[in-house]
Amino acid sequence: MSLDLHKIAGQIQCMASGLSVRRAEREASLALALDTLSTAQADVIEEKRTRSRTTFLVAGLRGSLSGRHPCPAPPSDYAALAVDGSHIDVDRHLAARCYLINLGTVHIRYGERPMAELGSRPRLYTEDDDMYLRDPASGRTQALEGGLLGALRAVEELRALAELAEQSPADVPTLALIDGSLILWALAGQAYQEFVRTALIDDMFLPAMDRLRELARNRPLALAAYVSLPRSTDVVNALRLDERLCPYERANCDMHCGQLPSGKRPCDGVSGVMDRDVFSAILDYGERSDVNLTTSSIVERSYGDHAVNFFYLNASEEIARVEIPAWVADSPDLLSLVHAGLVDQCRKGHGYPVALSEAHEQAVVTAGDRDEFRVMVETALGAHRLPVYTSLKDRSKRLKWL
Amino acid sequence: MGEVVESSSTGFVAQSYRLYGAPHLGALVRTGGPYPAYGVVHEVATRGIDPSRRPTARGEDEATEEDVYRSNPQLEHLLRTDFRAVIVGHVGEGETRYRLPPSPPPIYAFVHECPADEAAVFSSSTDCLRLLAGSGVAALEEVVSAFLRHAVAAQADPQAFLAGAGKQLAALFPGDFRTVESILLRVAP
Repeated sequence: MSLDLHKIAGQIQCMASGLSVRRAEREASLALALDTLSTAQADVIEEKRTRSRTTFLVAGLRGSLSGRHPCPAPPSDYAALAVDGSHIDVDRHLAARCYLINLGTVHIRYGERPMAELGSRPRLYTEDDDMYLRDPASGRTQALEGGLLGALRAVEELRALAELAEQSPADVPTLALIDGSLILWALAGQAYQEFVRTALIDDMFLPAMDRLRELARNRPLALAAYVSLPRSTDVVNALRLDERLCPYERANCDMHCGQLPSGKRPCDGVSGVMDRDVFSAILDYGERSDVNLTTSSIVERSYGDHAVNFFYLNASEEIARVEIPAWVADSPDLLSLVHAGLVDQCRKGHGYPVALSEAHEQAVVTAGDRDEFRVMVETALGAHRLPVYTSLKDRSKRLKWL
Repeated sequence: MGEVVESSSTGFVAQSYRLYGAPHLGALVRTGGPYPAYGVVHEVATRGIDPSRRPTARGEDEATEEDVYRSNPQLEHLLRTDFRAVIVGHVGEGETRYRLPPSPPPIYAFVHECPADEAAVFSSSTDCLRLLAGSGVAALEEVVSAFLRHAVAAQADPQAFLAGAGKQLAALFPGDFRTVESILLRVAP
């Protein structure tokens, strides 16, 4: 039997009516956030943040909270580079242990000499060294699959972007884009041991960032990560530290409010409000917010000179979050290239950067591709007289006997 | 000019190397392969390479159609032009034969538009119309008249060629004076 839609229809209606009721609460929360924003002093909040211990992620405020910057004129000649990836995870029901990463690459040049190069780089990983990360000190291993494979894919995307940038002409302003966040969130927290972070961030991710920064020393090259429909709350969380929402001189969430039930803390008036809600009320088309800093522990601990800065951008019908390394944020020219380039990319791409959109199209692995990949693996194993054993559970799913 | 991407005994589809680079309707083309086939182009189509992605309007802020392509250079890689040809003869043992080849052109066979001298030789026999007239392709009268316009331009004696073609059409469409007249009227420039 497939999903019984009749049984789920009533539950969907309940969900919709619940959201409708909570909408009024959310509007009140947003109004409070905007009101607080209108009087908040960024330098006061920033100074308080450095003295506080919060249970939520607060933006490091480099600029104001409500700054607006109109879109600069886009360069007449520029290039957009983009990389996006898809992967086929390790499948324990498949006869061979392996995974596949497919990277889509795009290089589009605009202006006097328009051209485009679209491509994909599928790679199958099968060796033991591909399947596990090893701690050279202790000999412990960590299997590369699931969320960790997603992190590896993000690292490979950045490495491919660095390679693409190195191969692209240096005589034209170049915007190098990746989809999603620059922050490897899968590696945050305590889920993985330190050697995993060392292998993926120190040994792979940061060298790729270094390559891009090195290129940017001698040519106009800007790296940016584009987050569509962001759910982040870094800026709203900064408002929580404003004196109107947090009465304490030095916030310590666990000590002052840890015993209070959810919704009863003084700062809970802005709960549920996301940064994009706030900036959609502030930014006109083409405008960006001030640049601020993420204080994510993984960035502060591991990223060094590549500290992740971000701004919000109204480049279409949605507010996007744009993440840039410090060396882009600190360069007015590169920041301007990111801002104008992304507005132009979104205009050409019906609201989403066209280079990223095409990179996604090059990278995407469809359900049909996954099935075909599976058949190819089994056929190849069979041709080499290797056992093509699959789990009985998997066989049961595929045969659907009665 | 292009490569065969679909092939059968009676016709083939070729993908043009250049976007919008297909030969014109009615043009005579020739494939490679063990039995090089002559074909008459009867349909040209340009569409998205990925059938799940439909082209959408992009030119609202552009001054000309060319500017749409200049502002979106990736389009050259996302669109393709195909042309369909009906086989009207082939080369066998060094001779031009006005019948279907023993085997269809292979996939990936190169396709060239025939230069004027080759088109003149091929169309010098009124037999060249037989397979085309019986092919049943859509807009048959348009395709035959377009082919004749190309062919007549390559002939040393256009009047004699048209007179012969008229007789052949009358034989190929017996009793169908309207069709023959319709084709011949459209051959005139």
